[in-house]
Amino acid sequence: MKSNGSKSKEYVVIVGCGRLGAMIANELSDKSVDVLIIDRDKNAFRKLSPSFGGLSMTGDGADYKVLKEANIEHATSVIMVTNNDNVNILISQMLREKGINGEIIIRLYDPERRAVFDTADVDIISPLLLSFDMIKQKMNEAIK
Amino acid sequence: MKRAKRALIIGSFNRGRVLASALMKSGYKVTIIYNQLEKCKILSEIEGLTVIHGDESKPYILEDADAYNADLVVALSQKDEDNLIISELCKKKFNVKKTIAVLNDPCKTELFYKMGVDSVVCDVNAITNLIEQQVLYDGIVKNIPTGDGRINISELPILSGYTSVGKKLWEMRLPKEAIIACIIRGEQIIIPRGDSRIEIGDKLIVIATVQDEMAAIKELTGTL
Repeated sequence: MKSNGSKSKEYVVIVGCGRLGAMIANELSDKSVDVLIIDRDKNAFRKLSPSFGGLSMTGDGADYKVLKEANIEHATSVIMVTNNDNVNILISQMLREKGINGEIIIRLYDPERRAVFDTADVDIISPLLLSFDMIKQKMNEAIK
Repeated sequence: MKRAKRALIIGSFNRGRVLASALMKSGYKVTIIYNQLEKCKILSEIEGLTVIHGDESKPYILEDADAYNADLVVALSQKDEDNLIISELCKKKFNVKKTIAVLNDPCKTELFYKMGVDSVVCDVNAITNLIEQQVLYDGIVKNIPTGDGRINISELPILSGYTSVGKKLWEMRLPKEAIIACIIRGEQIIIPRGDSRIEIGDKLIVIATVQDEMAAIKELTGTL
């Protein structure tokens, strides 16, 4: 997340209110960043903390009409953390195709799927690679 | 000797089976990937067909299915996102020459093309168009969709009482994206010009975009 002093203008849209999505949303809301979280299932929003001060929206994040309603054009960052890699990829590519300029971050369980991106204008976070790096680091420390 | 062309069909049981048989008849070597084991067992009974059971959009499954050597990949699953990612993986990772994907949400057609899918078939569009034509107008004898379902070529018999009877082509206000390509009058085939006259019993070959087709037929028949 960029923090360039003008935090009041920052607007983050999160697609997918799973554990990760809810955690990010809570954190951003605590830091008084404008945040909107989208999920297909309205029960998913129960994961948000009682103090969550952002917006929640029930709808299909892969539907551009829903994203448009979420004011996606003005988002400084869009984070796709649904539990389906393919949905995350589809939305990120759809946003770039529609000319959305904000930062785009997606989670991919399967890092091999990154092959579908021609350019590096989407940040890909892979739990697998992160765990691997962390464990490798621990192991190296243990050996020393 | 020329290598047999290889086709990969992904994500549908019924349509996959029909398409596989058709492709095998025209000399393709076909592999199907499907995610339900029971259905895969049924598919594997088809002679000459290779069946792989697994999650279709996983790169290693596609690799198992020898996607590197496929000439044609058809993604038929129910989920748009799966079809998109399958096609993209095949195109970008496995360098498949031709990819075809079906799509449920017509709004995403453009996205699919931009992402490098060679041919997008919009299920809903194709079927609703077909039904519309059948229901609204059963006078069309033949209808051939082409240009990825965006253009229709139809044969329209001219019956008495139609508004176009006795009129010259330039007297009619056909929509912009529709032309009368040909008038069939008995044994005679006329490539029409502005001053060609339409008569009862003619058959018109109309080429129109899907959007303008109904308007063109309305202008020619006066009904609808």
